[in-house]
Amino acid sequence: MARTLIRRLIYGLIAVLGVAVLSFLAEFVVPGDPARAIAPRATSAAVLENIRIQLHLNRPLIVQFGDYFTALFHGNLGTSYVQRQSVLSLIAPRLAATGWLALAGVVAEVLLGASLGLLATLYPRVRAAVSALNLTLLAVPQFVVGLILLLIFGFQLHMAPVTGGAGPAEIVLPALTLGLAGAPWYAQIVADQLSDSLSSAYVRTAVAKGLTDRHILRHHVLRNVLSPALTMIGMDLGSYLSGVVTVEVVFGWPGIGLLAVESLQNLDRPVVMGTVIVGAVAVVFFNLVADLLRMYVDPRTRQEQA
Amino acid sequence: MAAVTAPAGQGAAGQGTAPKARGRWARRAGARWPAALIVGCALLAVFIAIAIAAPVFGNPLQQNLLTGLTPTGLPLGLSWAHPLGTDALGRSELARLAFGIRTSVIVALVSNATSIAIGAAIGLLAGFFGGPLEAILMRVTDIGLALPYTLAALVIAGLMPAGLMRVIVIITALFWAYPARLIYGEVLRLRRRGFVESGEAMGASGLAVVRKHLAPHMFPLIAAYSPLNAASAVVFEATLSYLGAGINPPTASLGNMISDGQEALTYAPQLLLVPAAGILLITMSFLLIGEGLKARNPDLARVSWLGR
Repeated sequence: MARTLIRRLIYGLIAVLGVAVLSFLAEFVVPGDPARAIAPRATSAAVLENIRIQLHLNRPLIVQFGDYFTALFHGNLGTSYVQRQSVLSLIAPRLAATGWLALAGVVAEVLLGASLGLLATLYPRVRAAVSALNLTLLAVPQFVVGLILLLIFGFQLHMAPVTGGAGPAEIVLPALTLGLAGAPWYAQIVADQLSDSLSSAYVRTAVAKGLTDRHILRHHVLRNVLSPALTMIGMDLGSYLSGVVTVEVVFGWPGIGLLAVESLQNLDRPVVMGTVIVGAVAVVFFNLVADLLRMYVDPRTRQEQA
Repeated sequence: MAAVTAPAGQGAAGQGTAPKARGRWARRAGARWPAALIVGCALLAVFIAIAIAAPVFGNPLQQNLLTGLTPTGLPLGLSWAHPLGTDALGRSELARLAFGIRTSVIVALVSNATSIAIGAAIGLLAGFFGGPLEAILMRVTDIGLALPYTLAALVIAGLMPAGLMRVIVIITALFWAYPARLIYGEVLRLRRRGFVESGEAMGASGLAVVRKHLAPHMFPLIAAYSPLNAASAVVFEATLSYLGAGINPPTASLGNMISDGQEALTYAPQLLLVPAAGILLITMSFLLIGEGLKARNPDLARVSWLGR
């Protein structure tokens, strides 16, 4: 267990570092001059040159690379070119906003998905309808779901705000978007696991032992549903925290994804790097947590293959 | 107890007996050509036909500010002259839809092939040769899986001029890792069955074992994963073009049509709904093919829907 944990941590660190190096290299070959982006109306070459010197953009790539990663190992993500603030202080509130949205989205998709899955298991007659709905939800991109919700509930019914921002009223539609787009996976997991579990020998044995339905559901069936669902939740939390870019763009939700899009347009390299690195950490971290939880819930997964 | 019952559910008994018990006719009608597979293939055939014949539907770039808009300058609704109406610049929405479908179909087919080819090569090499090569390739795959998809796509998008090529490169760069992991797992599974060793014991060279003994076993898996991968590619192309990181106007793509349509959300919702329906149906055709293949071969059900 401890060895698995250490190995997974090391692999995770390597993956995050790899992402950081790749995005650093990609960012620095991006055509465009950050100095120009900072001072778009500057006419004198000296002003631009001065900005480049201040930002160390005039140094060789390898020196900038060394500087960036030395700072990174000290937990410093650098300073925004445009906003003159540390990247960490820019990202923190955006990450919080994305965090709320991710949480609300996961709750929505688990509730929706579990209901669909239960429906399909308990009522065979609606099974075909549920699969059709699942496939339809899978086939539509997240941002299209968001735009259609915005069209119906925002513009036609005037039930939801359309102006953007982070608040309890504004979170409903983006969370519902994530919920609808993610529900099919949970519906499938719940339906598969329930039908496997209910027809399994251990449930038959439990029934034969005279255990109550409630006890069997809670202690025998639920555990088996929980295990793959936890993995899925971990993957979703990670990928949502790495920026639900399109949903944030559609609804004007001031999260980390929107920050990344804005910074890319401004050629604000340190902020872009920061968001990508934070995103990679989120993905790796939550996958790890999900696997650990899974090993805790489901003893069969503890003996992991090398 | 769980350990005893688990293999019984998924083991060899589950594979062969179930279809046989349903008889020859049942297998013919139900398992060989499931409805989902037929409908999916038919839909896809229609879309490929539309993609090839796109110019028949009109010129997607022809702006018509005089007759293509209402007197107050709004997009036209549905009519005989313009079956799907016009967009904000008076261009025929039908023609743009057809060319958008052409873009989506090309992206789906090409980037599916490239991403799976790269993924399969990496997974096969890592799984077969093991050792340091396996360690390096699988760590690189971890990096690929840890990339925050959309952000990484936006970063790569900054490196290239807009167009089909950019979309295909981005999707390939992001989509190879999942099939690599999938194939790698499959190779490890096959290795445990021992015929790689027997091949080697009979004196076959490494590459011959990969080619003759491992690769053929990968085809059903790849066939089952491809439609899902292609569906993801269609969705991702639309997403990229919507964010301005894929195919830029005036070239038509379903994603940038939606981006344009978003401006007219209050007065011309069809400009959102028409391309959205296009994406839905193309993706659906691939998903149905995937479902159909799984119905034919339940062993492939472990291939998840969309590798995100």
